[in-house]
Amino acid sequence: MMITLENLRHDANGCIRCSNCKWVDHIYMKSARFARICPITQKHAFNLYSAPGLMYSALAIMDNGIRFTPALLDALYKCTSCGACDVRCKRNLDPEILSVIEALKAKAVEVGAGPMAEHRAVAKNIETTHNRYSAPHADRLNWLTEDIKPSVKADILYFVGCAASYADPSIARATARTLLSAGTDFMVSTDETCCGHLLYSTGQFDAFKRQAERNIKMLEQSGAKTVLLSCAEGYKTWKVDYPKILGKSTSDMNYNVVHITEHVDTLLKSGHVTFTKQVPLKVTYHDPCNLGRLSEPWYHWEGTYERYGVPNPVKHFRRDGHAGVYEPPRNILKSIPGIELVEMERMKENAWCCGGGSGAELAFPEFASWAASERIGEAKETGAEAIVTSCPVCKQLFQRTAKENQTNMKTYDMAEIIEKALP
Amino acid sequence: MSIPKEAYEALQSIVGPEWVSDDPAVRIADTKGGYATGVVDVNAVPPGISIQPETGEEIQQIIKIANRYRLPFIPTSTFFSAMCAPTIDDVIMIDLKRMTQLEINEKDLYAVVGPGISHSMLQAELFKRGLMTFVPTCGAQSSVLANLVHCGDAVIGWRFGLGYRRVLAVEWVLPNGDLLKLGSRSYLKDYFWGEGPGPDLRALMRGNEGHEGGLGTITKIGVKIFPFIPEKLEPKGVSPRTTLKLPENRMKWYNVTMPTREVAVDFMYELGRCEIGLLVSSIPPLFRYVARSRGKGAAGFWENWKKFGENADKNLMDIRVLCFGWTSEKQLAYEEKVLLDVVAEFGGTASAGPATDESNFQSADAVCSWFIGGRFLSEVYFESLDCGLHTEKGVRELARLRTPPLADTWDTPMLWAPYEFGHMGKQESLNYVDDKEIDALRAHEQACREMDLKIGGYAIMEDTRMFGKAWHNYDQWMKKLKATFDPNNLSNPPKPLERLLYEE
Amino acid sequence: MGMKEDLAAIVGVENVSADAEELKLYSKDYSVSMPSMPNYVARPKNVEEIQNIVKLANRTQIPLIPCSSSIHFNGAALPVQGGIMVDLRKMNRILNIDIRNRAIRIEPGVTWTQLQDELDRHDLMALNPLFAHPLKSALSGSLEREPMLIPKFEYGDPILNLEVVLPNGDLMRSGSSCTVGFPDNAADGVNPQGPGIDWVKLFQGAQGTMGIVTWMIVKAEVKPKVNKTFFMPFERIDQAIEPIYRIQKNMIGSECLLLNRVNLAAILAEKWPGDFSFLREILPPWTLILILAGGWRRPEERIEYEEEALNRITMELGIPEAHTSLKGAPGLEKKLPGMLRNAWPSEKVYWKFGYKGSCQDIYFHTVLSKAPDFTEIVTEPVAANGYPLDEIGIYIQPLERGRACHFECNFYYNPQDTKTANRIHNLYVEAAETLINNGAFFTRPYGPVANMVYDKAASYTAALKKTKHWLDPNNVMAPGRLCF
Ligand SMILES: Cc1cc2nc3c(=O)[nH]c(=O)nc-3n(C[C@H](O)[C@H](O)[C@@H](O)COP(=O)(O)OP(=O)(O)OC[C@H]3O[C@@H](n4cnc5c(N)ncnc54)[C@H](O)[C@@H]3O)c2cc1C
Ligand code: SF4
Ligand code: SF4
Repeated sequence: MMITLENLRHDANGCIRCSNCKWVDHIYMKSARFARICPITQKHAFNLYSAPGLMYSALAIMDNGIRFTPALLDALYKCTSCGACDVRCKRNLDPEILSVIEALKAKAVEVGAGPMAEHRAVAKNIETTHNRYSAPHADRLNWLTEDIKPSVKADILYFVGCAASYADPSIARATARTLLSAGTDFMVSTDETCCGHLLYSTGQFDAFKRQAERNIKMLEQSGAKTVLLSCAEGYKTWKVDYPKILGKSTSDMNYNVVHITEHVDTLLKSGHVTFTKQVPLKVTYHDPCNLGRLSEPWYHWEGTYERYGVPNPVKHFRRDGHAGVYEPPRNILKSIPGIELVEMERMKENAWCCGGGSGAELAFPEFASWAASERIGEAKETGAEAIVTSCPVCKQLFQRTAKENQTNMKTYDMAEIIEKALP
Repeated sequence: MSIPKEAYEALQSIVGPEWVSDDPAVRIADTKGGYATGVVDVNAVPPGISIQPETGEEIQQIIKIANRYRLPFIPTSTFFSAMCAPTIDDVIMIDLKRMTQLEINEKDLYAVVGPGISHSMLQAELFKRGLMTFVPTCGAQSSVLANLVHCGDAVIGWRFGLGYRRVLAVEWVLPNGDLLKLGSRSYLKDYFWGEGPGPDLRALMRGNEGHEGGLGTITKIGVKIFPFIPEKLEPKGVSPRTTLKLPENRMKWYNVTMPTREVAVDFMYELGRCEIGLLVSSIPPLFRYVARSRGKGAAGFWENWKKFGENADKNLMDIRVLCFGWTSEKQLAYEEKVLLDVVAEFGGTASAGPATDESNFQSADAVCSWFIGGRFLSEVYFESLDCGLHTEKGVRELARLRTPPLADTWDTPMLWAPYEFGHMGKQESLNYVDDKEIDALRAHEQACREMDLKIGGYAIMEDTRMFGKAWHNYDQWMKKLKATFDPNNLSNPPKPLERLLYEE
Repeated sequence: MGMKEDLAAIVGVENVSADAEELKLYSKDYSVSMPSMPNYVARPKNVEEIQNIVKLANRTQIPLIPCSSSIHFNGAALPVQGGIMVDLRKMNRILNIDIRNRAIRIEPGVTWTQLQDELDRHDLMALNPLFAHPLKSALSGSLEREPMLIPKFEYGDPILNLEVVLPNGDLMRSGSSCTVGFPDNAADGVNPQGPGIDWVKLFQGAQGTMGIVTWMIVKAEVKPKVNKTFFMPFERIDQAIEPIYRIQKNMIGSECLLLNRVNLAAILAEKWPGDFSFLREILPPWTLILILAGGWRRPEERIEYEEEALNRITMELGIPEAHTSLKGAPGLEKKLPGMLRNAWPSEKVYWKFGYKGSCQDIYFHTVLSKAPDFTEIVTEPVAANGYPLDEIGIYIQPLERGRACHFECNFYYNPQDTKTANRIHNLYVEAAETLINNGAFFTRPYGPVANMVYDKAASYTAALKKTKHWLDPNNVMAPGRLCF
């Protein structure tokens, strides 16, 4: 079933305003200070700024009760589609809350109310230069250095993504060096274009679909069977959003998706990688939403709801956050000599979003900084010197915010930490 | 009619412009609450304004403005209860989420909370300090304050009594904007005591249920907290299968099965005399099946429920007992021995349950009542355990007459929650229908109330229109009370009089 | 017809009196309050008669003062503005014993003694206050929130439900006793909530201003068959506080109370004044009394684990183990549980009267940790009024797991000696003032204390007045009391 509001009416209607989605799993709640999980609720408090608020809005939009008002657009596009609400809701219930939010954003785009100007600009960049920054496409592989020589053909294609290709090449280099050091044969592609994450998460579905098709075609032409990513957004986009926009399940796709942390974790376990260098650092790990709770495979379902809302055909799946990529990054950090890993109160499926996802940082930089400050504060409580994450958006936002707030919390990408520990 | 511009601006000046909104989307999001949604809130309309005060003083000012412009207002905390859904135009929705005041007095076993503090927040802070509170079945997300002044039901009542009697001193903005301070707050800074001076005006705060915003806004309460053991409860698992691991040296669940409801009731009375256990309750097969199917979808539930029902022994009643070694490990051993003695004497069976908890200490999942689809209403009676036998039978017989369309409960026992070591007890029956058959549910509810009037079961969600005359004309007193404290009839009218939102 | 005749028509001529001698009995009590005469006394026998009296009072605007006991200590049953004493002592039936729900329904005239005797026959006991006077009504004692001796139950008062004649003569029944046909219906009258509001709480502490309670259902608890009494002596009160907190937080014990030597001596003295003087000399300055009560089943085993915990607490605190007997009171450990679970024996002179003939109490609520300060604070007005500091009786009753305590000072005096009596009056007023100013919470403000409290509690007073007006627009019920 395509991600449209009408198709998701049952789900929107399934919200009973219990408000559980505003809190971390109560069982894991450790303090009143870090009890909340939805950044927009924490910041704005009005029920509109929450999953139930967006559900009621979705229903009202469908039934012509309201239009996309300024407050609705504000809430909708500050919502980072972090998916915390979705996971929290599914602790008890079934509705696809996040899909409704995504469809509501798409509806906003469809009627011309959304996305925000900043998001349109990015769409235009992607259309014209195939990357979000409007940098020359030809520079996409400029991050490669002398020592990094990927294969021309390989089973694994490292899909670098816009951020690591242009804005933060240290991540790309660290990833490539890690792969080389582990003896992993991989290739990169000059035809790589933006994964389109921002397009999807701001509701620009048509443009996103074009990106999906373009990249999938690129992969097919490369001959690789596995897409490896160092970026959480790209990972989730390939694994979840491409099949989703194409009306398929993840398992229907002709490729595998693997994140660098998963790959390294496997190699660690099989003994193909060992960390030898000391990295004396007390760190905390920030689960990026897209690698954590949002990264479970997508299952396409089409059908109707019968008596008592029983789906026909029966849904044999449930994306509820239990199968996110939580352990691999932690295993890696724990295996690096010198690293002391301390956890924040909100972790794994209960992690607090950095605040920058889904274009929120572009359109609402102050809001994003506020959310990031909350997270930095939480990290500080652990006594960590640095936050480690696996998402360039999180990294960049934490760094910017730490600077703005004049706090000395450092942020590293996982790939950078791994690289430091390799022989 | 709409909200006058001057009123709007006045409200803005109280809380700051970012905390007031009349944006249609903000308003639509404040229209519906949880309980029996789709059944009782069909007349709900969006409020005229939503406002988010942070302090009691702001609330006083807001309510003064409301009185000046004759605008109705409704306080809401988590808004899980559908009872605060507006049903008239131009309501000012006073959303209390930002009122997250929290102080804990470890020594004297009370906390002071604003309406923005959830049960889980309080519990998380208490566990850190070797203390505890409890979570009502409706869930840990609900506001401690709103829950206790509105309902406050939880199986903790076995040992710790009625929920609302956990409320100590109170700060309360009356419908005219005056601040009323109760108990020790009446003239001291402390919140440790709720009564007096003289007559206890907490009396006006609620009856069987709260006044539902019909008599103003409670802005802060002292609330009892309880000592706990030194051991920690450890969270385990990944959502949705998360649980708290209980320390086995101090806490042990027993699942007891009794041959009939009557024996089960005798058994609970006897446990009460023995004064053992932290919790004693009978969770009906229906609830257990719902909880067990959590994460498996509605289809799985209905299939399993049917299979269960066809073979169920309708007489058996299961009771969960949590033995607790509060004082020491030896106390736990003592409680277990006594429990097993009583079980044997009453001809039941007992088996130890897993040392985990998802439903009482830091989380509770009545919310999953919805995932099996359809709509439901619960009939709640609060009287003696013996009386529960009558009400349960009555409700069961009435439900049978409407099954289908009501979903079959297979005549199995409903929920029993004895309070205060058996001095009293709650008995609750849940009935489901498909969305399209809500009328049958309402008709069932009506029939239950009529039965209740006849037999004297004491339904807790009573409505003055139906019960007022029969119950010593208390409706007339309530009317006068409302007029006394809310002369302009602005505080969630017509509450606390009529409660049901779906009638004319 | 005159008022007397009107009353006679309601209650029967033999149950009305305007005889000065008889009325005088109602005009004063054991408190420092000024005496005042009623105009009539009526002794109704049932609820209808009460309703009719109340209606009559509303028609004629004459005050009504309900009273249930034969003895009063607080001035709360004095007819400060005259009027009709509604003497409820004729209504002294135990209406029902509900063994399963451990509840008992009593009329106003039922005394603590009567109540305990009845419950005793069913292995139950009432939750009584400390050595109530044998003539004291259990119903009015509970209404007045006299503190129970057992802090282990979270419920701090034993009332389940009540029937009340409201100030306009209407009948109201609280909680589930309001149901149609009660008590001959399915309900047992054990849910105190509702209907609409929490009526029970409204009548508690009302000193008769809100209506006339005609029966009440109170909780009873299982009477422990095995008990073990412990005494913990302390030189100073502050040393007793932490042990009480610990005992309560560890959930051990049944009755638990702290007495200073004056009060304990007054309680234990068999022969006056010899015993009293002797005991006052030899008793420790403070004694914490703790009864470990065996459960309904396996009683010894419960006592055993509780005793272990008690020893653990004393060890942790580095204080001597609790004693199982009290020096100077041989055999007390055996008798005490039974004594505490009863009113004061009628054959003995009341413990508050033995020393000087009368006693003025002053009590309030505070948190335990502040109790030592209050023992200091109170000395100033006491000394200022020439009352010997070493004759102050002090009783501290932990409430609800030690969340708070009832703090009581007892001033023993000779009521015949007018000068002393006047001094005690001054002392009472000044002590109350000092205590209030230092954070004492008077939940039950009697006589002159009411004004002091209500002056400070402006918002409460205003709301209370509104509430009173809602129920009693003609102010017929006990006018002149509280803030009405
Ligand atoms: C499935 C389900 C099961 C439930 N089970 C239980 C249960 O087991 N135990 C239980 O106790 N309750 C139960 N409830 C009832 C109710 O939802 C809860 O008591 C709780 O959610 C109330 O807290 P809230 O913060 O959601 O209150 P809200 O919904 O915000 O408010 C409840 C009512 O109180 C009023 N109110 C809110 N805040 C204030 C205030 N500060 N001052 C004055 N009035 C105020 C509101 O106007 C409203 O009428 C259940 C509800 C549902 C839907
Ligand atoms: S989205 Fe889910 S968790 Fe959130 S309020 Fe709605 S039903 Fe509850
Ligand atoms: S996706 Fe994240 S930000 Fe958006 S509503 Fe859900 S929890 Fe809040």
